[in-house]
Amino acid sequence: MKLRSRSTTKGVNYATSPLLAAPTPSWRSRFVVAMVGLGFAGLLGRAAYVQIIDAEFFRKQGEKRYAHTLEVPSNRGRILDRNGALLASSVPVPSVWAIPKDFSAPPEQLRALLRLLRMDAGEFEARLASGSANFAWIRRQLDPELWAQVKALGIKGLYETREYIRRYPEGESAAHVVGFTNIEDQGQEGIELGFQKQLQGRDGSRGVVKDRLGHVVEDIGQAVEPSDGRDIQLSIDAKVQFFAYQRVREAVLEHRAKAGSVVVLDVQTGEILALANYPSFNPAERSRLTGAQLRNRALTDIFEPGSTMKPFVVALGLETGKTRLDEVVNTAPGSMVVSGIAIKDAHPHASLTLPEVIQKSSNIGTVRISMRMQPRELWELYSNVGYGQKPQISFPGAVTGRLRPYKTWRPIEQATMAYGYGLSASLLQMARAYTVFARDGEVVAVSMLRQDQPAPGLRVFSPETAREVRKMLQMAAGPGGTAPLAQAMGYSVGGKTGTAHKQEGRGYASNKYRAWFVGMAPIDKPRIVVAVMVDEPGKGVYFGGAVAAPVFSQVVQQTLRTLNVPPDLEVRAQVVTHALPAEPESF
Amino acid sequence: MSKVNLILLLAVIASSLMLVSTAYDTRRLFAAIHKAELESLRLAGEHQRLEAERQAQATNLRVDRTARERLAMRTATPAVTMYVVDPMARAASAAAGAAASGIAR
Repeated sequence: MKLRSRSTTKGVNYATSPLLAAPTPSWRSRFVVAMVGLGFAGLLGRAAYVQIIDAEFFRKQGEKRYAHTLEVPSNRGRILDRNGALLASSVPVPSVWAIPKDFSAPPEQLRALLRLLRMDAGEFEARLASGSANFAWIRRQLDPELWAQVKALGIKGLYETREYIRRYPEGESAAHVVGFTNIEDQGQEGIELGFQKQLQGRDGSRGVVKDRLGHVVEDIGQAVEPSDGRDIQLSIDAKVQFFAYQRVREAVLEHRAKAGSVVVLDVQTGEILALANYPSFNPAERSRLTGAQLRNRALTDIFEPGSTMKPFVVALGLETGKTRLDEVVNTAPGSMVVSGIAIKDAHPHASLTLPEVIQKSSNIGTVRISMRMQPRELWELYSNVGYGQKPQISFPGAVTGRLRPYKTWRPIEQATMAYGYGLSASLLQMARAYTVFARDGEVVAVSMLRQDQPAPGLRVFSPETAREVRKMLQMAAGPGGTAPLAQAMGYSVGGKTGTAHKQEGRGYASNKYRAWFVGMAPIDKPRIVVAVMVDEPGKGVYFGGAVAAPVFSQVVQQTLRTLNVPPDLEVRAQVVTHALPAEPESF
Repeated sequence: MSKVNLILLLAVIASSLMLVSTAYDTRRLFAAIHKAELESLRLAGEHQRLEAERQAQATNLRVDRTARERLAMRTATPAVTMYVVDPMARAASAAAGAAASGIAR
């Protein structure tokens, strides 16, 4: 009882239960709290670092893993002829590349691959080792069907990408005009080079998000639209071009010549309808190309224009009143001396009327007329019609030719230039110069691009003078002239031959010739000027009238027919226009 | 009050599910568009290839050769061509001429 009462007075101390007394020291709990707090602070710090301080780096790393930039390829412009026929166009083809570090193929697959690609093992290894660890070209610009077979092998680490290859349907006939591109789609020659800027497109790009399977799922950022290259429409008529090429090719082969060129100009617009050279090349197979094949001779080769200069001198004489149409020029005895140097006619005549000077191509007659003029007058004439001037045709390699300033001319030079020696020009320049007669006294600027408007000309002679000279040119290409073979069926023609020893070093080669012919048709209202040149005809026949004039004739006839020009000469028709009644058959 | 909350909660859940499914749809459709774009690019390339091929089959060289060798044709000359005057053009020029002479009178 006593015990109970004591306990009631003292009471029980609940606050300090021995059960509640912690067995561990209290600093440990504080330590844990501090640690957890510290952990959170660390995380916060890291979060701040990631989100604020070094955010850019992490954003970039993230983007790298899902964002991709897709190239959107642009297309190189096409090259068309005047009627819209393709002369060059780009076609997408697969190119095969590999990731060398990923590449693996069992031996039989590898053999099949090498067989398809027509490669030996050594070459393949070399290709594989040629790039980095992540990229090596195996074969560029492969046939699509071949790629389909390669793809079917399912080789690891082998991929395709699309590249553009250039196709040239007209092949060798237009090769010099169109030119070609290299494997990187950069123009190397011809129009492909001259109009590289306009033809080439600009590749576009767009940012996208790809999922794990490689599907594009979202656009991000700014897309750059690709811009395709511009189409270029040339003045060339593929039909005329082809025909001109065929004819000059035949002539070169027939006369075993070294080369030949043809230029066809539209008189009204100054457009180049055809510009063909032989030898030529196939733009699709360029592995064994020689410089001779590549040369666009009609534009790059210069030579002395020879007798084709004579009509200009006669025309200037008529224009300035230094000669008259009815003048009889004394050409006896077939030679004359200027500053101690003899000038000769190949076929001497006692005297010639003015038209006959051109018809018979008399050097002496022409020199007599030219010596009545001032050097300055002649120089102005020559440069007005384009001699010594660079043709404005935005075509690479077009040469200027040579025409010396008149102040340095000696009398003998004034004399020889009158019949075409001592100055030089390309075939295109000669053809262009003849537009002065074809256009009634105006010379027209030539163009390689299609023109829809007649081009303005630069007046050099009066229309009357031009018409008179045209008549002389018609005589030269007629019976009794130097080039009767220039006659075309159904169309009146006129023109002038030229034949010259080729220049070699400082002199002339005795057995190498160049033959050419420049003319126009129809003669009353010329529509085209055609110039033909054959280099080094090798079969003994070498006169322009025999070698170049027949080509002129055929090209004129075909071109005018293609241009729908009605014949201006009577032709004995070989067509039967009425159905003949048939005899009733008996049986 | 709790009823309103419940309704809002359900609405939020429904809308978020919708968002997920729409995002998925968007990506799926986008992938489809991209695929179609690639296909159109491929077809455009194919078109160019065929165009070039057609031109290659119709080059002047080939036409000329086929005409000569297989069809035994020859180059036309004015001698074997009959020239006819377009009656429409003639009528038009005659009318113009009549009108001009009428004015002159």
